[in-house]
This record gives sequence, structure tokens and C-alpha cells, in this order.
Amino acid sequence: MKKNILFITLLLLISTFAFAQEDSTGVKVKDKPVRSPFESGYLIDAQTTVIPNAHTLEFVIQHKFGSVENGHSDLWGIYAAGSNIRLGLNYVPVKNFQIGLGMTKKNMAVDANAKWTIFQQTRKNTHPIAVALFGNVAFDGRNETAFESGMVRIASDKLPVHFRFNDRVSYFSELIIGRKFNDWLSLQAGLSFTHYNAIGVVYDHDKVGVHFNGRLKVSPQGSIIFNYDNPLKIKKISEQLEWTNHPKPNVSFGYEISTSTHAFQIYVSATNSILPQDNMMWNQNDFFAGKYAIGFNITRLWGF
Amino acid sequence: MKRGLINLLGGIGMMAIAIVLFAFVAPQDQKLGAAWKIPAEYKTMKNPQKATPDLLNVGKMAYAKSCKSCHGGAGLGDGPKASSMKTKINSFKDAKFQAQTDGEIYFQSFIGRDDMPNFEKKIPELEDRWAIVNYIRTLK
Repeated sequence: MKKNILFITLLLLISTFAFAQEDSTGVKVKDKPVRSPFESGYLIDAQTTVIPNAHTLEFVIQHKFGSVENGHSDLWGIYAAGSNIRLGLNYVPVKNFQIGLGMTKKNMAVDANAKWTIFQQTRKNTHPIAVALFGNVAFDGRNETAFESGMVRIASDKLPVHFRFNDRVSYFSELIIGRKFNDWLSLQAGLSFTHYNAIGVVYDHDKVGVHFNGRLKVSPQGSIIFNYDNPLKIKKISEQLEWTNHPKPNVSFGYEISTSTHAFQIYVSATNSILPQDNMMWNQNDFFAGKYAIGFNITRLWGF
Repeated sequence: MKRGLINLLGGIGMMAIAIVLFAFVAPQDQKLGAAWKIPAEYKTMKNPQKATPDLLNVGKMAYAKSCKSCHGGAGLGDGPKASSMKTKINSFKDAKFQAQTDGEIYFQSFIGRDDMPNFEKKIPELEDRWAIVNYIRTLK
């Protein structure tokens, strides 16, 4: 398995050097990347293959209200407890490579992340798809006593004897493949790996997931967007005999409006999580059972 | 009762002061922009892109993202942000505007001045910039 992953990665790297193609006269013509396969690097709860221009700073506000299940009594979750918010800053030091930092309300998490668009889809199909790698590391910032809740550490453990900084750390990495099919349709698929350093005994440290998302442009500035994340049941990497706490798939869809420096997305989403590893490990909300929340993302770009 | 009345009068008084102060910061009448000083190289600059349907579509998309909020969907200078500008935005339908060369429109659109910001970093590709110039030509 490891050999296969290495081979695919090498293949992708090598193909990035083959970015030019010859025309009928034998002259090499540089094939340009397609324009705006997505409007920003974010698509509801997911990442896209898009990275802003080099030397661009991006500020991101991601917000989810509480669950809509109580209806008008808490204004479909807007007044409800359990909201989640993330503030993030991303910077693009060199073309197609982005680094970022973020703070999330849930679990008082701090995350550092990086995204590399290995290659972009090109207009003449020299590269028919775009391929990106995204990875992050998140630190659970709650007080040590919070880890006795059982979600991360079993209650019988004695704090602080067994508690180490590493127990706060979780990781998420994803390979994203996307294609802009035409001016109105772009789709992406992804394969991800999530790891938590410390976890309760009834849970798994690792989760592999698949992701599918896209946009349907309905006007020059507006698009219908959707996202689906599915944590897979893989017995080989599970530490449990039965699937008692397996996370539920996340379903979300919404509407996006964009300008040259902003993207605004309003959506409904099953998961209350904003960090992807949190979604892949803990989501127990079933969209089709009416457990979803209203949320929005705002991104703002500054060029330097 | 008396305290309630005092609070009410206090609130109304504060609102009145705020309204008076706000009058000094609210946008006043917009001024007409001075004549553009366009370098000779831009005046004679040739548009390398033909207005093909595909490129006009690119121009339309880029115009919607970057220009529409001030210049308006039809280029009349009536976008939602137009009224907050210090300078009045002229219509692209104006014969005087359309009589300019493509290079002059390019300079005004992407190099800019004052309220009209520079767009070279936001629209880095030359092809896309000329696509917008071609699209603006269709708004006459």
C-alpha cells in the first residue's frame, strides 16, 4: 500500500514538468490553467484545489449555528447553543502553495495547515484534472480536566499523570482531485486520512474517508454548492470489534456568491464540526434525520 | 416614571447629537473626475484579443466579479457601491467613453487612480483584462 502511494505521488510530481504541449507545427505551446474552477479554497466544509495568487493573504470566517431541529423556538438554530466558529488566516508565499493558521471555538482548537496544488487543470487538457494535497495539525486547547469526558481519554485515567501535550494533537490529510467540466460545472473527489493521538477506548485512532463535492454555477457570481464526506468502515484499521460509534456521513449544500476578493457561502450542513478531522471522527448527526445546522463562510483576499 | 422619562429624553438627545455628527461624515455630493492623464504608450496600445463569443463570456464573468459592484450590471455607473464613491462614475454607454481607444480603457480599468483601484494583481492575466475591455465595448 505504501509503495503504491509513493508511486502515485512520484507520478504526479513527474507529470508537473510536462506542462507544455506541441501544436501542429511542432512548436511548444504553454497550456494555461483553467479559469476559476472554484471561487475560493473553501467549499462549505471542504477544501478545493484552488489556491489564490502568490503573495495573497486570505482571511476566513467559518460559522455554524446550532441544530435546526427545535424549529422556530430558537429560530432554527440561530439562537441555539452549540454554535461553532473558526477564524483563519492563509498566506500564499509561492505559486500553488498555501500555509494557514486557524482558531476554532469547538474544543478551543488551534490548527496549522498547508495546501499544495500539485498541478492545475489546463485549458487544452494537457492536465485534464487538478490535483492538490491538503494537510493540517490541530491542537485541542481545552483544560486538561476536559479530557476526562471520555471522547479523548477514558474517565478512569488519572490526570495529570497520564496526560501529555501530544494527547491534544490530531491530524488530517487529503488528496483532492478536481475537474472543471465546463463554465457551470466543477466536481471534486478526495481521499483522506485522519489520526488522533489520544482517543477513548471505544473509538478508533484512525479514519479513512472519501469526499465528493462540487458547484453548479447559475449566474456569473452565483453557484449552488454541495459537499459529501463519508468516513469509511475499514476493519483492517479499526481497533473495535463492532461499529458502535462509527461517525455518520456529512451532507451539506448551499449557495455561493463571489466577487474578485470575496466568497460568501451560506449552507446547511449535518456536521457541527469545522475542522475536517473533527468531522471525520465525531460527526453523529444524520442529515436525513433532520439533524443539520445553518452555516456560512466568508473569505476575503488581499494581494501584496 | 420620572426616571423613565429622563432615560427616554436622554436617548432621544443622544440620537439627535448622533444625527448631527453623522451629517459631517455622510457622503456629500459626488464630484466629477478630472480628465485622465493617460501615457502615450497606453493610448496607442493595441488590443491583442479578438472579441470572440468565448472571450466575451470570460469578460462578462470577470466583469461581474470585479466591476459590477460599482459600475452596475449594464455599465451605467449605478452599482450598489457607486453612491459611496467620492467621484461620480460615468456610464460606459456614454459616446465619449466609447470613443476612446482600447488602450485608454485598459489604462483606466487596470492601472486606475483614486477611487478606481489598480486591478493588475486581482486580474493577473493579460488575456482576462483584454476580455473585460472587449466586454465593456458591448455595453454601449
